[in-house]
Amino acid sequence: MAEAAAAGATPLLRNLPDEIVLWEILARLDPRSLIRCRAVRRAWRRATSTRRFLLAHHARQPAFPIAADNRYRNFLAFDHRSAATADAQFHTVARLGGSFSLELCCDGLLLVAKSGMLGNRARLAVCNPVTRQHASLPPLPDFNILGMYLHGPTDEYRLLLQWRGAMDWGDDSDFDSPTGKNGCYVFALGSDQPPRYIGLSEPKFSSAYFHGPARVRDSLHWCLFYRPGETPLEDCEAGWELVVFDTIAESFRQMHAPVDPTKSCILEMDDMLGIYCCNKAAEVVDIWVLPNYDSEVWDLKYRVALPIAEIRGKLEGHDGECYWYVTVASGGGDELLLASFGRSLFYIDTHGKLVASFQDIFPSRHRLKQTLVPHDFFRTVKGQAVDASPFI
Amino acid sequence: MATREAGKKMIMLKSPDGMEFEVEEAVAMESQTIRKMIEDDCADTAILIPNINSKILSRVIEYCNKHVPTTGATGAAASDTVAPAALAEDLKIWDAEFIKVNRATRFNLIQAASYLNIKGLLDLTSQTTIDTISDNSLEEIRSFLSTKNDYLPEEEQTIRRENQWAFQ
Repeated sequence: MAEAAAAGATPLLRNLPDEIVLWEILARLDPRSLIRCRAVRRAWRRATSTRRFLLAHHARQPAFPIAADNRYRNFLAFDHRSAATADAQFHTVARLGGSFSLELCCDGLLLVAKSGMLGNRARLAVCNPVTRQHASLPPLPDFNILGMYLHGPTDEYRLLLQWRGAMDWGDDSDFDSPTGKNGCYVFALGSDQPPRYIGLSEPKFSSAYFHGPARVRDSLHWCLFYRPGETPLEDCEAGWELVVFDTIAESFRQMHAPVDPTKSCILEMDDMLGIYCCNKAAEVVDIWVLPNYDSEVWDLKYRVALPIAEIRGKLEGHDGECYWYVTVASGGGDELLLASFGRSLFYIDTHGKLVASFQDIFPSRHRLKQTLVPHDFFRTVKGQAVDASPFI
Repeated sequence: MATREAGKKMIMLKSPDGMEFEVEEAVAMESQTIRKMIEDDCADTAILIPNINSKILSRVIEYCNKHVPTTGATGAAASDTVAPAALAEDLKIWDAEFIKVNRATRFNLIQAASYLNIKGLLDLTSQTTIDTISDNSLEEIRSFLSTKNDYLPEEEQTIRRENQWAFQ
C-alpha cells in the first residue's frame, strides 16, 4: 500500500499489518471517532487523511434514510439496526436555524433550501452535516432542481436543473428569453458561471414532475408523473419508461420500467435500482429490483401487505381525512417501509410486520451516507459567503 | 476437531508448525480463500495454511464449525425445533464468549480472518478494536493499544481546535 509506505517505518499498531489496521479497522470507524483518532499519533493522522482512504471510509459508511422533525429544523437519520429503544432509531444529523426543505442528497452532502415569500426559494445551501461545512448557492428561482451528482471527468459536483418558465407560460408558447429556454441545464457547485444548457426540451418532459433521482452506475434515474389529464399518450404505447441521465456524458436516455412509473417511486438499494408502487386501495406495496442493470429485466422482490387494521387501531381519535404516504428505504442490506399517516409514522418490515411507530417525524426519500472527503467548493465559496451558517 | 461422518466430504488443513486438521469441506469453505482453492481444484490432498499457527488455526476452525449453515453441526446438541431468531441470539452469545481473548490472540485472529477471507470472523475480531477507539479518550486509546503520543502538546491542541465538533 502506498499509504503504508508513506507512513514510514513505525507501524500503525504493533503486531498488526498496516493494511489491516487501515482498511479493516480505521476505515470502519464512524466519522467522529475517525477525526478523534487522528490525534492519537502522527502516523494515524497521515494514514487517515489521504483522499483515497477517505473515499474508502465513505464507501463503508451505512446509508441511513433521512427524516425531519421540529418543523423541518432538524434532519434525522433512521438507523433501524439500533433497536434498543424506538427513540434511539432516529438520531439528529443536522440542527438548522430555520425551516429548510431537503432538496437532494449526494455522497454525504445535503442540498437544502429555505423557503421565502410565495414559496420561492430564498436561499440554497450545500452542506456536509458531519463537518458542518456549508456553501451558499445562488437561489436559482427559474429552475426545478432535478439532481445532484459528481461529474467524474472533472471531479465537480453539479446540479441538474430544469428550466421552469414553460410551466408558468404554458407549453405552446415558443418561449425564448434572455434567461434561458425550455429544457435542462447543469450548474457546477462553486462556479460563478450561469447554468449551461444541455437539452431535453420536449414538452412531455417540461410538463412532468421528476420523482427521484436514484443514482446507480453513474446514472440518475427518475419516475416521471404528470398532473391529471396531462399524461402524454405516446408514452403508454411505447411501454413504461424511466428517464435516465448519464452523469459522465451528461446526456439523457430512457429505460424499461416494470410498472407504470407515473404511479411509482424509485429508489436505490445497495447499488441496485429499485422501484415500488402501492395498489389503489393502498394496502399492498410491490417492490421491484433490477439485479442485472444491463439486462433491464426486473424482479418482483417483495409484495408487502400493510398491517392496515393494526395501524388504524393506533390512529384512534384521528379523523379519516389523512392519506397514506409510503416510503421504501434501504439501508445496510435491509429494506424497510416508512408509512406516514397524518402526523404518525410507522416503521414496517418487508414481512408486513409493524415494528415501531413515531409521532411528528416526516420521512424524506433521501439517504445519508456520511463523509469526511474534503470538497473544494466549500473553500471556494468560504471567502465570499456573507450568509451565516444554516447550522445552529 | 471434526469427526468423520458418513457422506460428508473432508478436507485436510495443515498449519506451518506441522499440525493437521481434518474438517468438513462445508466448514472449510466458510473461508472464501479455501473455497476458491477447492473450486479451482487446487485442494486434492492437504491445504497448507501459511502464517497461521496451529493454536490460531484451531480457533478459526472452531468459529467456522459454529457458523457453518446448520446441516448437522458437529458436537452441538441443538434441537431441531430452534427458531431462527433464537439461533441468531445463541450465535451472538457464543461469539461474545469466543472473542474473550488477549490482544495478541485477537490480532492473530484478525490476520487469519483477513488472509482466509472469513467476513463474519473479520467483523467480529476487528469490532473490539473499533470499539476501543470509538468509546475511549485519547489517553485510554494509546494505553489500551500500546501506542505512543508523538505530538507536541500544541500540535494536539491544533487538531482539537480544527475539529471541535468531533471532540465535544
